[in-house]
Amino acid sequence: MDPVVQFQNVTKAYGQAVAVDDLNLTIQAGKFVTLLGPSGCGKSTTLRMLGGFEIPNSGRILLAGKDVTRLPPNKRNVNIVFQDYALFPHMNVARNIAFGLELKGLDSSAIHKRVMELLALVQLQDYAARMPSELSGGQRQRVALMRALAPDPQVLLLDEPLSALDAKLRQQMQIELKSIQERTGKTFLFVTHDQEEALTMSDQIVVMNNGKVEQMGDPHTLYSRPQSVFVANFIGDANLLRAKVVGADAQGTALTWNGRQVGALPSAHAMKQGDSVLIVVRPEALRFLSVPSGEGFAGKIRKRVFKGNHTSMTIEVDDGSQLNALVHPGESEAISGEDVWLGWNPRAATVIRDESAAG
Amino acid sequence: MRTMLADAPRTALTMAYWGFVLYLFLPLTLMMAMSFKNAAFIAFPIGDWTFDWYLKVMQDKPFLEACAYSVLVAGLTTLAATVIGVWIAMLIATTEGRWGAVLFALACLPAVVPGMISAISLRIFISTIDMPTGTSAIVLGHTVHAVPFVVVMALTRLRSMPANLVDAARDLGADSVVAFFRVTLPYLGPAIGGGMIFCILLSIDDFVRTFFLGGYRPTLPMLIFAKVQGGMSPEINAMATLVLLVTGAVGLYAEYYTRRSRSR
Repeated sequence: MDPVVQFQNVTKAYGQAVAVDDLNLTIQAGKFVTLLGPSGCGKSTTLRMLGGFEIPNSGRILLAGKDVTRLPPNKRNVNIVFQDYALFPHMNVARNIAFGLELKGLDSSAIHKRVMELLALVQLQDYAARMPSELSGGQRQRVALMRALAPDPQVLLLDEPLSALDAKLRQQMQIELKSIQERTGKTFLFVTHDQEEALTMSDQIVVMNNGKVEQMGDPHTLYSRPQSVFVANFIGDANLLRAKVVGADAQGTALTWNGRQVGALPSAHAMKQGDSVLIVVRPEALRFLSVPSGEGFAGKIRKRVFKGNHTSMTIEVDDGSQLNALVHPGESEAISGEDVWLGWNPRAATVIRDESAAG
Repeated sequence: MRTMLADAPRTALTMAYWGFVLYLFLPLTLMMAMSFKNAAFIAFPIGDWTFDWYLKVMQDKPFLEACAYSVLVAGLTTLAATVIGVWIAMLIATTEGRWGAVLFALACLPAVVPGMISAISLRIFISTIDMPTGTSAIVLGHTVHAVPFVVVMALTRLRSMPANLVDAARDLGADSVVAFFRVTLPYLGPAIGGGMIFCILLSIDDFVRTFFLGGYRPTLPMLIFAKVQGGMSPEINAMATLVLLVTGAVGLYAEYYTRRSRSR
């Protein structure tokens, strides 16, 4: 099957500032895909180019195989859920949702039927006659979503739509969005700077930085196998340990760190002996060992913060660097100032190139 | 004592305010009172009260004709000024930087040009292009004067409009014309309504431009002016009172209407 969206060597600059830099991106139909990155990484520009609100300086954008690079927004079959919803304040809920259907030339009974179906999808049937100003933030969000879904777009674009909601509602909407995506089978292209949002909902995450794709993959792969310092730091917390490669094969990578032999998963990049690398160890992958052993290393607890369902610890190791560990209840009762013996499972650590050393 | 002393400036301000209100309303009240006087000349004491002047005014054919003419002129002016004003406001709102400011200043100029100057220049202009004095010339003059008020009101509302609304309409399949009529124009509604009422009041009130540009048919201010030259009488007071009440009611309603719509 053809991919629903293809960006081919797309570049967009505003004067000297390059927002999107030679972007290549392919999105498969029916997936929940998230563009994730810090503000200014080009994710919103990418979305707006697909929506037709920005024209790339170069490159092509294909929608279901058709070149739409220069088509105006009203001529392409994609719809946006805007960050501030952009509901029409002078129209009630039903007329907001009907707007796109009327412009498609549907007759009024078909429009009514479709509007009611969509409202039922988000349990807002009783709100059809309400004005947007009479709705709560979560309800406006749902109406904006249904208005954008109404004309049956090939791709639904969502521009940080949850950022205006409070934390609790946001979590609820994440689950609801994902469930609507699954029930409708639509392709969702979601833009956010919130890694938790991305991990919760996405089938595919595209991590962007400086107008380029840093890494693309499913949430689990991105979290467990980051391929750059940026991705390791942006998604979750990471301990980055500077090490040298001793040997690498398909089973794993052997390394020396602080004069010790340690292990990690095989790297995505080709490694040879002597290469400078960084080992990514997630805080929860650090293990407390009851007795000193050849595999582990010594550390001293510098800080211990109780967080309810887990405890966060800062541990100083003998070269003076500090590691973060996430400890589940019952795993360790070590207190601040105590000496501990630590290690990690080589299957929970991954190796990335040390970009600063590669220079 | 301390509090009274501390309140002295405030007391002075309050008194000044009420003094101003008195100064504003006393002449109006006197004028209205005299319209009920059962005698042919204006002076105290009033003595007998009567509604006769009002009955007479309501049956006065020239007065009613002047009213109708003023309403016609005001209607045409409002139509023209609203279309032009909203157009200019849209242009200014979509013009970036310094040019926007220049356009805005030019659009507002007619509001600050002295009425007399504007009237004379318009008179010279219409004779140059061989346009006869009369309805079209008056509407032309009133429209030039009214446009800046529509521009300012429409522009204020446009600037408060979320940019995403038009984007959303375009995204849902509207071309720019449909987006304007279905989203931008309804959003401007309250401002346009307020601006239209302002145009009506400005046009009905306008004397100088009408005087220079008008033909033989008098508008309301011209009729009253002609009558005053023939000597004051409570009949004129009755006319003036009617005009005051009607325009006052329209103005207050406009204020209420724009406030209510804006709060939505």
